[in-house]
Amino acid sequence: MTDDGTTTRPTRHGSAATMAAGPGPAAPPVKSRREKRLRGVTERQRPLWMLIPGGLLMTLIIIIPLLLAIYISLIDLDQYTLRRWLDAEFIGLKNYVEAFHSGLLHAMWISVSFAVISTIATVPFGVAAAVATQNRYRGRAVVRAVFLIPYVLPSFVVATVWRTMLQPDGIVNTLLAKVGITGGLWLSGPKAYWTLILVEIWAAWPFIYLMALAALQSVDGEVHEASAIDGANWWPKLTHVILPYLRGPVLLACLLATLNHINNFTLPFVLFGAPPPDSVNVMPTIVYVTSFQSLRFGLSAAMAIVSMLLIAIPLFAYLRVLRLDVHEEGGR
Amino acid sequence: MAATATAPPVAAVRRGSRTAALEAHRLLPRPLLVIVTVILCAMVLIPTAYILLASLNTDLGVAEGQFWPSTFSVASYTKIWTTANLATGLLNSIVIAGFTAVASALLGTVTAYVLVRYKFFGRLTILRGLVGLQSVPGTLMLLPVFVLFSSAGNYLGVTVVGTRWGLFIAYLTFALPFSTWVMVTYLRGLPRELEEAGRVDGASSVRILFRIIIPLSLPAIVVSGIFAFLLGWNDVLFAYVLTRPESQTAAVALSIFSATQEGGALPVYSQVMAAALVTAAPVVLLYLIFQRYLVGGLTAGGVK
Repeated sequence: MTDDGTTTRPTRHGSAATMAAGPGPAAPPVKSRREKRLRGVTERQRPLWMLIPGGLLMTLIIIIPLLLAIYISLIDLDQYTLRRWLDAEFIGLKNYVEAFHSGLLHAMWISVSFAVISTIATVPFGVAAAVATQNRYRGRAVVRAVFLIPYVLPSFVVATVWRTMLQPDGIVNTLLAKVGITGGLWLSGPKAYWTLILVEIWAAWPFIYLMALAALQSVDGEVHEASAIDGANWWPKLTHVILPYLRGPVLLACLLATLNHINNFTLPFVLFGAPPPDSVNVMPTIVYVTSFQSLRFGLSAAMAIVSMLLIAIPLFAYLRVLRLDVHEEGGR
Repeated sequence: MAATATAPPVAAVRRGSRTAALEAHRLLPRPLLVIVTVILCAMVLIPTAYILLASLNTDLGVAEGQFWPSTFSVASYTKIWTTANLATGLLNSIVIAGFTAVASALLGTVTAYVLVRYKFFGRLTILRGLVGLQSVPGTLMLLPVFVLFSSAGNYLGVTVVGTRWGLFIAYLTFALPFSTWVMVTYLRGLPRELEEAGRVDGASSVRILFRIIIPLSLPAIVVSGIFAFLLGWNDVLFAYVLTRPESQTAAVALSIFSATQEGGALPVYSQVMAAALVTAAPVVLLYLIFQRYLVGGLTAGGVK
């Protein structure tokens, strides 16, 4: 990758500081001629007005609603006050207090445990699939396409078909009965939680597979050859040479997958309906039910903000490891 | 890929070294490879096959618990158009998701170009925001959007809730940051030299964007549009709250149709499966056509 110094890290921070200090392109003290030329070009003709359409729209439809959500969480907004919500009573943190007394902690626990279990359980499937399709063989393209099926199917379709298959008289119980197992109820009662996890695993493992496959493909050919020359058997080679290359990308994938599991509204909602059984009442569904079935908008806004704070923990971890400027990385 | 790159030119040697290289690259012994592949394929294909078979079965056959239909028929595929609100749903989904795709891909490209190529105060904050916004729970966005939309009716006398364009705006809240981020990841890999030539010729930034950047990044723009389309197509949350029967999307039509079947005298599960496959078809088709680009974009863009 060419080294245009304008975008490497130290320079960028430096220039960001200059720009924060005052307008006008103050000439940085030590610069190569090439850098100077590039800087001149990028700073003189910055078409920042091009940000206006996108920026204005994002402010209007994202920033303002998010600020409004914080305000709603502090007022007593329900179906009676909705029509004149600007006049609704300001009640401070009462909604938050009530949220913690009306099942939010339970929902948080369900959400987090469901997300973590689903993520951990999908890793072996995803990594095994990536390892199995890394080497070329006849029909590999078909196998790869098959692996993508659960991922490509929309969530609502996955949830609908599993809901149908898991009915008390559905195909799952029919097949289980043939081998002498009584399936019982999958969509209500104590088993519902594990049903949710199983369906989520079925739908989500290809994400880990894709990320692991991308990482495997970036392993240098010489690594394989070196371990072949050393006469490494497949198992030591896999565990000691290849899998360490996957650790970083797969951890990143896990972080993202956990975020996606926590935010998954469609699967529990379509699978169990609303209100769902208590054991699968995850954060998105409890917020939905509180707002659009109990019509307690203020209370549900407080719940939604608490869940955002919970999500912020893995999110910040992700933002930390994510490179926002990848000029120095080249490639993509 | 890597195996052929290192092969020497002499044919006989190439053959030998290629098989050796392939052998060296082998990760799993053959029996294990077969076992793993078969297990994973079965896990995916058995439910998928059942969905397909059930949709080709009769409603009675599915209710009796047949895995393999005793009689094949496509009756379910013809019946669903009258039993479910599917045609309206599909049309609405195509219109709403389509507009979302076009709007967010175009706006996203312009915004991403400025974010990638020019430095200005607050740029990193915006980039972080773009990533962070993709993890904001839909329920958190839906509430204020719903309150704003319904108060547009009360305070301004404009009906937004229940209209297609209301849902379109709601989808932009997710699609726009997402498309922008996909374009950011693509554009920053585009060599700067490509624009330098244009600059030397004295072309304006707008001209460079439309004459150089956009033609060069057309595949990525299409991908970011498709992702935006999928966000709209796959959404259930916003569509449930912000639509009326006439503006219902396919996702809502399907889940209402399937939910009303349970507990009835003869649930039409075969039709449910057929309807599910029909609503999934456009998405599957998009993936089949753009598979290579989409899979690359998935790993680059990160969030689904």
